[in-house]
Amino acid sequence: MIEVRHLTKRYGDRVAVRDLSFDVARGEVMGFLGPNGAGKSTTLRMLTGFLEPTEGEIKIAGFDARRQALEVKRSIGYMPEAVPLYLDMRVVEYLRYRAALKGVPRREIDKHVDRALELASVGDVKTRIIGQLSKGYRQRVGLADALVADPPLLILDEPTAGLDPNQIRQVRDLVRALAKEKTVMLSTHILPEVEAICARVVIIDRGQLKFTGRPEELRGGSAITLEARADGDKLRAALAGVEGVGTIAVKGADVQQARIEVNGDVHACAERVFRAVANAGIDLRELRRVDASLEDVFARLTTQEVHS
Amino acid sequence: MKALVIARREIESYFLSPVAYVVTVVWLVWCGLQFYLLAGVFASAPSLSASANPLSAFFGGSVLFFIPLLVFAPVLTMRLLAEERHTGTLEPLLTAPITPADVVFGKYLAALLFWVCLWLPTGMYVWITSQFGRIDLGAVLASYLGVFGIGLYYMAIGLAMSALAKNQIVAALLTFMLLSGLFAVGLLGFVDTLSEQRDVIDYISLWGHMQAFSKGIVDTRFLVFDVTVAGLFVYLAWRALDDRRQS
Repeated sequence: MIEVRHLTKRYGDRVAVRDLSFDVARGEVMGFLGPNGAGKSTTLRMLTGFLEPTEGEIKIAGFDARRQALEVKRSIGYMPEAVPLYLDMRVVEYLRYRAALKGVPRREIDKHVDRALELASVGDVKTRIIGQLSKGYRQRVGLADALVADPPLLILDEPTAGLDPNQIRQVRDLVRALAKEKTVMLSTHILPEVEAICARVVIIDRGQLKFTGRPEELRGGSAITLEARADGDKLRAALAGVEGVGTIAVKGADVQQARIEVNGDVHACAERVFRAVANAGIDLRELRRVDASLEDVFARLTTQEVHS
Repeated sequence: MKALVIARREIESYFLSPVAYVVTVVWLVWCGLQFYLLAGVFASAPSLSASANPLSAFFGGSVLFFIPLLVFAPVLTMRLLAEERHTGTLEPLLTAPITPADVVFGKYLAALLFWVCLWLPTGMYVWITSQFGRIDLGAVLASYLGVFGIGLYYMAIGLAMSALAKNQIVAALLTFMLLSGLFAVGLLGFVDTLSEQRDVIDYISLWGHMQAFSKGIVDTRFLVFDVTVAGLFVYLAWRALDDRRQS
């Protein structure tokens, strides 16, 4: 649905996005992650045609962003960061206007607007003036705008920024529901959000690609801790050679506490560790999976260049 | 087609803001006063009526009559694009499946329509005058054509400045300076020693412009000037909006 190749954006001497390439498959929910100022919004603005890339190719729904700009824009429902809206209009007026602007045939406008109002659950404020709405409602009016022309691709720039936990859950549920029939690309700097709704993650930092893959892969260095009443060497011997077990740290006197760094699937490894320890005749008191915090992974990915 | 959708919203938003009403009221009071005074002058001096009437004097007699427009035109056009950029609504606007040209034409159309709305109530004076004497309908129509011509380039200049300026105030000031500049050049026509430059000055002069039209003389040179300047500045607005994507 989205193909990005060697995308670069320069503002004078400053490089906002540097040689970025990634794909988003049809039907996928892709999380676009990065610290503030990483170039997320700049990238999204190039995808949606608001900014012209300095270099590189963008293809959306098979259309070339440079030569088929209108077709590209027609394929996208875009919610910009901070959701700028006309504050002097009523919600329903605004959505009707946007639907007309997006080429929804006149007779179908009411139907489209009603559907968008319902999906974004803003039907209860449809006759209110946008300027008088709370941040959460405005955010969802922006979402309704992105949905109103029923495009195959949604690009949402920080869709949950500034919402309270309930509203965040609503937006996530909505994105999950929409993902059944649409492709979604959403930017965020909130990690649990990505885990909650995205099948795939692209991480950028200072305009450059740092990671692309599934959120689970991000965790990479997961570990297992266990506690057992046994001799340290005996425990070490039992664990050595179990598939997936990396470095082992054991400490303790009578009761040993061990921490095992796991390579690969942590769940399968935990099962193998349990069997190995039991087979060695050691009584296990506790066996626990420790997820490397995504925050740590994120920090590792996005700060490593400072030191090099 | 999309330009019409934009123009419609723009007109609606004019009437949602108090600015439109303030401008309209002040303008109509000013016009009413002007017409009242002119009617008084003509009523007390019947001999004047041979060569002119309150209507021709209203449209072309006094160039000072146009001074409020030098302020109102910038006020009408300053928000067109500068506000969209300032509040960020330019982003949803330009990421909709429309071209920058649609946006520029839509906004220009809306400004022109408002300009026409500003002048529509003056039709009342035509009706009043017609109740007390004969009016030259051709001259009246020509006067309105002249007024429309002025609107063509006043609104275009305002639109272009709104596209270029960082905020509304700067846009209004730039428009005011440009319009005042053109207005002042026109006034140079009153300086006798500049006879050689007279042809060019007359071309630009609002006074000369409205003098001709108010007498019923449709001088196409003035219309060519109006349309040319308008086209130039609408093009400038379009380029400013389109080039923004590079920065």
